[in-house]
Parts: sequence; C-alpha cells; structure tokens
Amino acid sequence: MSEDHQTVSVLLEDRLITLNRAVGLIRRRNLPVRSLAIGPTATPGTARLTIMMKSDEATAERAVQHLEKMIGVRAAIAFPSLNGVARELALVKVRAPHERYAELLDVVQLYNACVVDDAADGLIVELTGSEAFVLSCLRALERFEIVEVARSGTIALAAANNLQTETAT
Amino acid sequence: MTESLTGAQILCRTLLEEGVDVLFGYPGGAIMPLYHALPEFPELRHVLVRHEQAAAHAADGYARASGKAGVCVATSGPGATNLVTGLATAHMDSTPVVAITGQVARSMMGRDAFQETDIIGITQPITKHSRLIEDVEEIEEAVREALYVAQEGRPGPVLLDIPKDVQNQKVSGTAGQRGRESTPSRSSRADTVPLPRCPAGSFEEAARLIARAERPLIMAGHGVVLSGAYAELRVLAERTGIPVITTLLGISAFPEAHPLHLGMPGMHGEVHVNRAIQQSDLIIGLGLRFDDRVTGNLAGFARGAKLIHIELDASEIGKNVPAAIGLVGDVRDVLCQLLPAIAPRSCDGWRQEIDGFTRLRDENFQAGLSPQAILDAIAESAGDECTIVSDVGQHQMWVAKLFRYQRPNSHITSGGLGTMGFAVPAAMGVALARPGEPVWAISGDGGFQMNMQEIATMVQEGIPVKMAVFNNGYLGMVRQWQQFFHGRRYSATPIWSPDYVKLAEAYGIAGYRIESLDEVQDAVAGASAAPGPALLEFMIEQEANVFPMIPPGGSLSEPIEGEPAIRMVPA
Repeated sequence: MSEDHQTVSVLLEDRLITLNRAVGLIRRRNLPVRSLAIGPTATPGTARLTIMMKSDEATAERAVQHLEKMIGVRAAIAFPSLNGVARELALVKVRAPHERYAELLDVVQLYNACVVDDAADGLIVELTGSEAFVLSCLRALERFEIVEVARSGTIALAAANNLQTETAT
Repeated sequence: MTESLTGAQILCRTLLEEGVDVLFGYPGGAIMPLYHALPEFPELRHVLVRHEQAAAHAADGYARASGKAGVCVATSGPGATNLVTGLATAHMDSTPVVAITGQVARSMMGRDAFQETDIIGITQPITKHSRLIEDVEEIEEAVREALYVAQEGRPGPVLLDIPKDVQNQKVSGTAGQRGRESTPSRSSRADTVPLPRCPAGSFEEAARLIARAERPLIMAGHGVVLSGAYAELRVLAERTGIPVITTLLGISAFPEAHPLHLGMPGMHGEVHVNRAIQQSDLIIGLGLRFDDRVTGNLAGFARGAKLIHIELDASEIGKNVPAAIGLVGDVRDVLCQLLPAIAPRSCDGWRQEIDGFTRLRDENFQAGLSPQAILDAIAESAGDECTIVSDVGQHQMWVAKLFRYQRPNSHITSGGLGTMGFAVPAAMGVALARPGEPVWAISGDGGFQMNMQEIATMVQEGIPVKMAVFNNGYLGMVRQWQQFFHGRRYSATPIWSPDYVKLAEAYGIAGYRIESLDEVQDAVAGASAAPGPALLEFMIEQEANVFPMIPPGGSLSEPIEGEPAIRMVPA
C-alpha cells in the first residue's frame, strides 16, 4: 500500500484531559503524525481534533479504531487528504529593508496573502491554504528575513463523510 | 430528615451496591477519609497488603478468578505510584481492575503538595480509562462508571483519583442516589464495545474456508476465557476435528487431555505446535492478539496460512498478522453465530502429520526433581478444583506446558507484561474469589523474593495460598538467555535466597525444603493439609533450560532444541 497524506478527524469531549489522552494515544502507538489541530465545533462541549499523518490507509484506519475505544471520543474517521478540503493558517513576521518593500508586497500579493500588522521589527503576513501552498509561500518569503512563523496545523473536512451527523445518531 | 453523608461514605455505599465485596489496599494521608468510613461498612472486606503493588495484583487475580472487577485502594503519591506495575499488568492482559487513589485536596493540587503526584497522567497509557473526581456529586456516578467500563467490552483497568477534601465533602444522603439499575451517564455499551462488525456473508465465507482447508488449526487465546466460550470452542473443534492450540493466556480454555489439544505455541512452544502453525493453511484465531512471543518473527509466521480472526477489539485485527476474514465481537457471540454454518469434517491425515512432528526430549534433573514430577504431585494432591497462579520465568513455561489443567480458567499468569512478583499477591486475590478451593502460587526464587512480604498479609487475613518456589539459585530465564546468546556470561543472575523454611517459621506457617523426588509427595500432601498458607522450596537443577526455544527475532521454524555450543555476544 502506498504512503500518502491521511486525515484522521476526531470529535471528542472538549476537555483538556480528553485531548491529553487522545494525543497520548497517538504518541504511544507511534503514529507518523505531521500535524495536529484542535478547536471547537458547532456542538457545545465537543471539540474536533484533526490529525494529519503520512501513512497508508490501514495505519490511519487503525488510529481510528484505537481512538474509537477511548471514553470521551464521540466519533472518528480517516480519509485520504485528497478526498477532503484541508486548510492551514500561518502568520509570518518578515523583515525587509525599505528598498525591498515593494518586492515583498509583490510576493504577498502573488500568494493572495495579506499584511495584517506593520510592526517596528517587520511585517506580519497572514497566509491561508493547503499545507503545500503555505510551504511554497514560506519558501518565497525566505528571500527576505523571516523573523518568526506561527502555523495552526491543518484542519480538514471530508468531502463525503459527515462526522457531525455520525455523532447525532 | 435526610442524613448527611461524606464522599467517602457514598463511595463505600456505591461499591457495595455494585457488588464489590473486597478491597485490597493500604491507607495513607490522602485516603484517610475512606478508611475512616470503612468500619461503617463491614460487608466491604478490606485486605491490608504490605505493598500497594500487591494490592493491584491481588485485585487482578481476584478479577481473573471471579470474572468480576477487582478493586484496589492506595493513597496519593507513593501509594498511587506503587500501583503502576499492577495496573500495567492488568492492562496488558485485559483484566477488569478498578484502582481508587487518594489525591491531595483540590486547593493544593498543582502546587507540588506533600505526596502529590499526577497519577492520572502517569497511568494514562496503562489504563482503559481514568477520572479525577472533582466534586462529591460525581462520586456515585463515577464509581458506577468505573466498574462498568472496567468490565464491559475488552476489560481493562480504570483509575479513580479522589481528592481528600472531596472524600470529606458532605452531601444529603439521598441526593444523587440513582439506584443500581441506572446506567452511567457518561458511558454506554456503545462507548466501550466496538459494534460487531461482521460484514454480510462473512460467516458463510469463513465456513467455506474451514470446510476447504487441508491443514487448519484453531488458536485460542485469553478472549475465549474472558467470554467463557469453552463449550462453543469444543463444539467447533469436535465437529471439524481441527486441532486446538492454546496461547499462554488461553491455557485451560480447552481440556489439556483432549485428543485435539496440541499445546502452547511460540517462543517456548513445543516443536510440533510451532511446526503445525508453519505448515498450516488456515488459522482460526479466537480472542488473541498475536503477540510477538506467539508469532516469532512476523515475516516468517505461518506464511501459507489464511487467518480467520475472531476478536472483540477491532484494532487487533490485522495489527500484527493480516486477516483474510475479521469477525469483530465477543468470541462466544461470534462462535454462536458461526457454528450453524460449520459442516462436520475430519482432519485425520493432518493430525497424523502433526503427530509426526512431535519430538521427545530426554531431560535429566538432579535427584529426579523435575518440574513435571513436582507439578504432577501438586495436581494429584490438589485435585480438579485447583487454580495455579504462576510467576514469570522458566518455571512459568514449565507450569504452562506441563501442568494438566482440568477445568476452564484454572491457570492464571502475567502474560503480556511478564511481571515478576505477580504470583504471590495475585494468588491471594484468587483465593478470596474461590474460597475453599486449593490455590497454588508457583514462583521462581527471583520472583518470589519480589513480593514475599505478602506472606504477612496471608497470615493476618487467613488466606490459605500454597506457595511453591522453584529454587535454582539463578534468575533462570535470564541466565538461560545469557547461556545461549551472551557467551555464558552470568552477569547479575546468581541470586541468594534466605532459608525459606526458617522464613516460613518466622511467619508461623508450614515450610518445607524438598531436595529429592522421594520427598515431593509427602511435602505437597503436608502443605495441602495445612489449614493456612504454606511455603515449599524445591531445590531444582541449577542450570536446567526451557526447551525448545525460538531465539529472539527468529521464526517459529528455527527452534533451539538442546544445549547450544557457546555463542558469543551478538555484535
């Protein structure tokens, strides 16, 4: 089986201990995690944990089976990342000498990004897109001085499987 | 007027209502409110152990023998951390243990208070579930949930951490009492048991594979014992003539003396059992997880065999060995559904072939004191009702392979974690779960010394466990590995023992040292007849080995069957 980007999406009880337990399980099972993202859902008390893995489908499916056994996990699914919509947010603080400002703004525009803060020590650029898009934009910004980067980790929704309705039953 | 109850009283009352009748524990600062309440609940027997590890193992032994959850209690900090090995043992072997730990008061938590430890964090990977009880109103529901979660689906340990002030918190006596019929609000069966996943047609497909196989085998694991699928397993085997292999934790799930019983597979499995696996074209796996000690090198495991894997835990299917058909569910439930589709057949040719794989070994033990002779004497004296609890090491393999188990679930051992020191405390739990029945704890001289302090518990509580120590003056299994794979460098394996007869005398129990075969029968009979616990020390051959042995990382096709030439330390 080929290795690919797999998304494991988990709806769980919105408590620190439950998140702790879920992440602990992923570590203990030695799963090839690329990124983790956690946030609230439309249902009060339920959070969504999105785990991006580089693995075959069987490994992602096993992660789901382990997670489903956990008390506090309401539902979990795995899907190849290509079968869903995945986005990541990045904030990049970039420093450029005055004479290269125009060049920097060109790059920002080219990537459909925007400048969200003009601080004394550099511009803060906000990027949203797939992981590949964010990486490509970061590479483009490397020709200037990147001071700091904050990335959210990828969040995703499956195109076909609705985890939210799964929990309603 | 409603009386006012403390959290500790509610805890005791709920445990009783849920059918708990014994607690194994040790008091301390953060659990004192519970101990203050205990005398008001005399039906809740408390067994004071000498070390909290023993409390966890005793609860584990109680659970394995009774089929109900075993409960252990410890204080915060060191009391709680001492439970860890016992919880890990229960987790690896899927045993329903509930641990109740005291915690420092809520206002002190997170400030590195005296005897504070994050026991929930520490035990997270080795518990099925755990919960910090933050308010007295939660206690009743949390206790019911813990007992429920520990026992439902694939059993496992659950830990409840209760701050001292929550144990002391008062609440009106009837408030929050839901009665024992109520289901825990935070869990339902769907939370703990994966829904049966047997795709349409999979029973028919399994039956077809079973009908067509030329060299089929049944491998029965702990799941058969946990689900009580003894009769169903027997029907499956007898209707089809398929030989049955029992894993270490599956031992006694199928009658030892049955003509279809082959024995134990794996690292110390008999040659004919492992060769049968390697030659087979179909394995019906019942409630087992294909541990590496069973499979040897996975790349070389049963390469010609298809697998029908019947297992409660969906995540076990395909984890180590790919399955042609995975039937997810309780082994007994699934077999009941599968059996109507199974047509009678026989496997006479295949069984004859397996018989031809059998190798007889000529083993000499000093003064005739062979493990077989000792175990035969115990079996003869203890009779059909006997439960054997073994420790970990060479004696464990001898006990697994040589004892003639008569009834289901009469062999209890630490399989997955391989916890030395398990036998003596676990046997206490077994003895309380099976009052009036003979219980033997068999240990090596290493494992026995890890928890022999529990003799005091047995004496104080009147728990009549018979303890047999196979004394060879070595940590025998490690010594065997050193002999085979480390150029006979016996580093840190010679082990001194005290005079066990005098030790027995110090505790006021019967003690025997047996040095030759002719002393065995009398000593075993004497120990069996003694009213309380008894200690027997068998002076066995110092450098005897367990044969055969699959070298670590080797495949089941490469057994070591006799004393090897000296091998040097692997690079």
